[in-house]
Amino acid sequence: MTDEPVTLTIDGKEITVPAQTLIIRAAEQLGIEIPRFCDHPFLEPAGACRQCYVEIEGQPKLATSCTVRVAPGMVVRTQETSELAREAQVANLEFLLLNHPLDCPVCDRGGECPLQDQALAFGPGESRYREAKRVYEKPIPLSPLVNLDRERCVLCARCTRFCDEISGDRFIELFERGAGERVSIAAGEDFRSPFSGNTIQICPVGALTSETYRFVARPFDLTSADGVCPHCSAGCNLRVDVRRGQVVRHLARDNAEVNDAWTCDKGRFAFRYPDDPARITTPLLRDRGLEPASFGEVLGWVADRCVGSRVAFLTGGRLLDEDYYALSKLARTVVGTNDLDHRRHEGGAVEVWAASRPMSVAYADVERAPAVLVVGLDAEQEVPILHLRLRKAARKGARITVVHPRRTRLHDVAAHVLCRPGEEASLLREAVRGAGPLASVVEELGAAGGAGVVLAGERCSSAGAEAALALARTAGARFGYVVRRANDRGALRAGVHPRLLPGGRAVDDPAGRAALAPLWGDALPSTPGRGRRAILEAAAAGELDVLFLIGIDPLTDLPDGALARRALENVPVKVVQSLELGDLEPFADAFLPAAAPVEKAGHVTTWEGRRQRVEPVRGPVGLSRPDWEILAGLAAAMGGDLGFETLDQLDAELERVLEAGLGTPDAGAVEPFVGPDPRGGEEAPTAADPGSLLLFTYPLLVDEGRLSARADELKAALQDPAFVEVHPDDAARLGLAEGAAALVTTEAGRAEVPVRLNEHLAPGTAFVPFNNPGLVAGTLLAGSFWIPAGLEPATVSRAREASA
Amino acid sequence: MALAFERRLTRHWGDPEVVGLDGYLARGGYEGLRRAVSMTPEEIVEAVKASGLRGRGGAGFPTGMKWGFVPRDTGKPTYVVVNFDESEPGTCNNRELVEREPHRLLEGTAIAALAIGCTTAFIYVRGEYLWQALVLERAIREAYGGGFLGPRIAGSDRTVDIVVHRGAGAYICGEETALLNSLEGLRGQPRLRPPFPAVEGLYACPTVVNNVETLMNVPDIIVRGPEWFRELGTDKSPGTKMVTISGKVERPGNYEVPLGTPFRTVLEELAGGVLGGRALKAWTPGGSSTPLLTAEHVDIPLDYESLAAAGSMLGTAAIMVMDETDCIVDAAARMVRFYAVESCGKCTPCREGGWWATRVLDRLEAGFGRADDLPVVRDLGRNILFRAFCALADGTASVITSSLRHFADEYEEHVRLGRCPLGVPHLEEVAS
Repeated sequence: MTDEPVTLTIDGKEITVPAQTLIIRAAEQLGIEIPRFCDHPFLEPAGACRQCYVEIEGQPKLATSCTVRVAPGMVVRTQETSELAREAQVANLEFLLLNHPLDCPVCDRGGECPLQDQALAFGPGESRYREAKRVYEKPIPLSPLVNLDRERCVLCARCTRFCDEISGDRFIELFERGAGERVSIAAGEDFRSPFSGNTIQICPVGALTSETYRFVARPFDLTSADGVCPHCSAGCNLRVDVRRGQVVRHLARDNAEVNDAWTCDKGRFAFRYPDDPARITTPLLRDRGLEPASFGEVLGWVADRCVGSRVAFLTGGRLLDEDYYALSKLARTVVGTNDLDHRRHEGGAVEVWAASRPMSVAYADVERAPAVLVVGLDAEQEVPILHLRLRKAARKGARITVVHPRRTRLHDVAAHVLCRPGEEASLLREAVRGAGPLASVVEELGAAGGAGVVLAGERCSSAGAEAALALARTAGARFGYVVRRANDRGALRAGVHPRLLPGGRAVDDPAGRAALAPLWGDALPSTPGRGRRAILEAAAAGELDVLFLIGIDPLTDLPDGALARRALENVPVKVVQSLELGDLEPFADAFLPAAAPVEKAGHVTTWEGRRQRVEPVRGPVGLSRPDWEILAGLAAAMGGDLGFETLDQLDAELERVLEAGLGTPDAGAVEPFVGPDPRGGEEAPTAADPGSLLLFTYPLLVDEGRLSARADELKAALQDPAFVEVHPDDAARLGLAEGAAALVTTEAGRAEVPVRLNEHLAPGTAFVPFNNPGLVAGTLLAGSFWIPAGLEPATVSRAREASA
Repeated sequence: MALAFERRLTRHWGDPEVVGLDGYLARGGYEGLRRAVSMTPEEIVEAVKASGLRGRGGAGFPTGMKWGFVPRDTGKPTYVVVNFDESEPGTCNNRELVEREPHRLLEGTAIAALAIGCTTAFIYVRGEYLWQALVLERAIREAYGGGFLGPRIAGSDRTVDIVVHRGAGAYICGEETALLNSLEGLRGQPRLRPPFPAVEGLYACPTVVNNVETLMNVPDIIVRGPEWFRELGTDKSPGTKMVTISGKVERPGNYEVPLGTPFRTVLEELAGGVLGGRALKAWTPGGSSTPLLTAEHVDIPLDYESLAAAGSMLGTAAIMVMDETDCIVDAAARMVRFYAVESCGKCTPCREGGWWATRVLDRLEAGFGRADDLPVVRDLGRNILFRAFCALADGTASVITSSLRHFADEYEEHVRLGRCPLGVPHLEEVAS
């Protein structure tokens, strides 16, 4: 088979396309639209709907252009120039409409329906069908998110092919045959796939509809903008739809470089947070009993308390690049501190790598890789679109190995090496020496000739991430550091970090400070600041005057619940800048209302380091402002000047810093350093007490996170109450049974949760979701995301307490 | 023309001994396999190519050429799959061939396996053929015991295992790619081609799918040679063909005839003429999916080329005969209903077109037709034919178009009278 480009003629126009191109794709390049239903550019050809007939010269039968690949000299005539093709298409549309209920006026898809559009453009004016139509009970809920109307279905099999080819979650299937064929699901089953919503979007009719958008809007009611998903670092391109000021829908936007045509159900269905009644859209001051105040008043009040004080900044991972840059610059140039952090996990030297080397691995590299090693990442739950790309790589033949304490949903396409959390580093170092269970993986990566990929999740500790980087270098593979939250990588790039300036330069590196001097001045603080945990400890010890909490709730977001509470109790001034107060209401002294992601323009950076532009779909609600504007206002109130008054000015400066390589250290400079929080970098403790397990936790996809507020259907579909997962052998030893409550005790706290047995869990460990209903796992942790824990049946502990 | 020739596939019919291994061996059975193990695969393929044997399942593709397409250097296993999903209405010759001489099928299958380097062959048996599957299972046990299957077949170092798999009752699974899907445990729906089964068939490995009758011709070709095989039949359609004749004839049944034998000979000499001496009205040459022919086609030779020239197909050579008392609209309604019910549902023209056609034809036959139904029926035939994913729907369309081509006035009569002019009770009345 030759890969030479192929030249063919379509409707008299010559075009040259890559070999193996489908006729329908080649026609698109000429601007010729051939009607189609089953065809989808990201699914395998099906040839099921038969709508895309074309005439190919020399072939006796009409061909379906979605299944036939181009050939040199091929002469194709579409409906534009072939009466035969046109008549066949009209006839086929007549067939498709026979049993279609034509209930467009009450159908959610009306106005944006391929069947409606193409029937209008290419179809017969009226039906000659006089018999009774097929009727089914409808709608059938496939899950709390997805409804199925089998009467509208044209049986194109896009939905079932998506589940088969893309997500691998084969919950739905075509049942029966002939005119009785229909999409269905096994009795008693739910369509429990975190990608289920994609089937709604690719349905070419109104057969699959979303519970959240049911009877909500018409396309002409909507205002839309191009957004990027705020939930994880995948960077899915979204279309955000607003009706009368309220966000009513997220759709995936096609971007073959990032999310293909997909997004996960969280990205699709957790969209109500900007309109949550708990949101606060005016500045508040504690002095007034947390009553509304003007921005000027609050900023002045805060500025007065910051000048000459010990100030620290904690933020999360969901602001825009511009916000982080403003924060980084404010802290260093106006407040004069390096006490700022955005991280939940510490990656050590790998953070320098991530801050200075964008796009060391992109999605396309993952897809092309013959071998991939994934360490410390549950891709489906943490970065779902990366999970889909890994599956796509597997379909193309990639050998995938996952090193993780729990088996992940890649289990059908990847080998898993279960290891205790924190043990990654020693496993990887062993593999570099040619020993252990991963030795063959190093060989595979090496054999890939530079196309192999190593992905280290942020959870594998600084030692683990550094060992993964070292392994990648040994094997000549590409290395990617996969952070979790939507703009963790942007925060890292902007230097929202106690040791790093923008672009990964160390704060104690005079050359790095000098490089920034033209924009940031020459008085930057030069000693490394406090990290997330050290900030909280200083606050708890009364060593801080002002603590900024920008888009973060340390009580639930960090693995130091008790410490965070002590910190809040012992800092005189707590400034909260966010969408709402939530748990922080008793503590906040000043509240600055931030604009929601859908209300801001700017950039977000994917886990790859790709900066993507987002556009606001509406203006900030009430008095809320973009974070960077608030921070610039604070700088001014403190008598400083960040040097930009508009987003364009800010972007120009940020691009100078990032893209002109201003702060970029040279490639060889990545040496392991001891993180400011030694616990984050350490190997996991071995459980000395045989009765204890190593408890570890990470947030599952759908949890009680703030941005999932009011996503009730999503939670009904995909969220479980808190549980503790234990290996059956450990459970037997400890007397724990599936479903029965266990008492989990750590040095930080205790909780009672039901047990789930999981034979695909590293023995000696126990897993709890970080923030599922019934348990805020941070209350069991003491600074790290793993901790030795005692587990015993709750009945035993109750009996003991009763007798005591 | 009197029909006299040396019967091949049916030469032992009536001899109950040949069902068992001993009887088969006593009559020269497994001689083909004994010779084949000492031949190279290329020699076997060449012999079958030289014989001109064409697939008996309907399409008539040259068998040797099909075997020659199988790549040998892919590093994957290759498979022989026997299509014993005989489901075409009016067709039952595979069934009788297997019942009477099962070892001949096993022998042919094993030779095919040797020809393409396959060690595991599958026989896909129509779900309703329980008895025939049992007959095969028993014969397979005997063949293993006799050293003709399993490791070191016929004293050689070659291994051939045969696995019987029963279908679950879907006509579509006779379509070779749907059959492969079904064999793999997937939905019985046809696959996109390319890749063709010869390249990526069963479990994405090179696969040959052959009909029962085709393979049963192979042992004789190996033993007696391609030239002997070509002594009967025509130049382009050599050999004999099993013909199943049913419907309004005196002696319905399976008959072996040299290809090229005129329909008249089969009808009059073998089947004893039209039942009760009535006049021939219409007949299908190759099962209900092949376009209907009429009394004026009675002298057509039964071979691939002649029937194609007459606008029909040899198909499975299942001849269904209708006489002057039979209503064409009723026949069409019944046949179209079969294809509509058996449609796998995958593609639109077959699924929806069959549904629509069934309803309109039923209504016409029941006497509720309208003048504007006739153009609809005509368009339905045109809009289904050659438009569907696989050939199943061409059966639907062929019934419609050929019945309209030859009997348009009978359709009009139904509309004009508001009832069946022949007084044939409607299918639904029969059912009730």
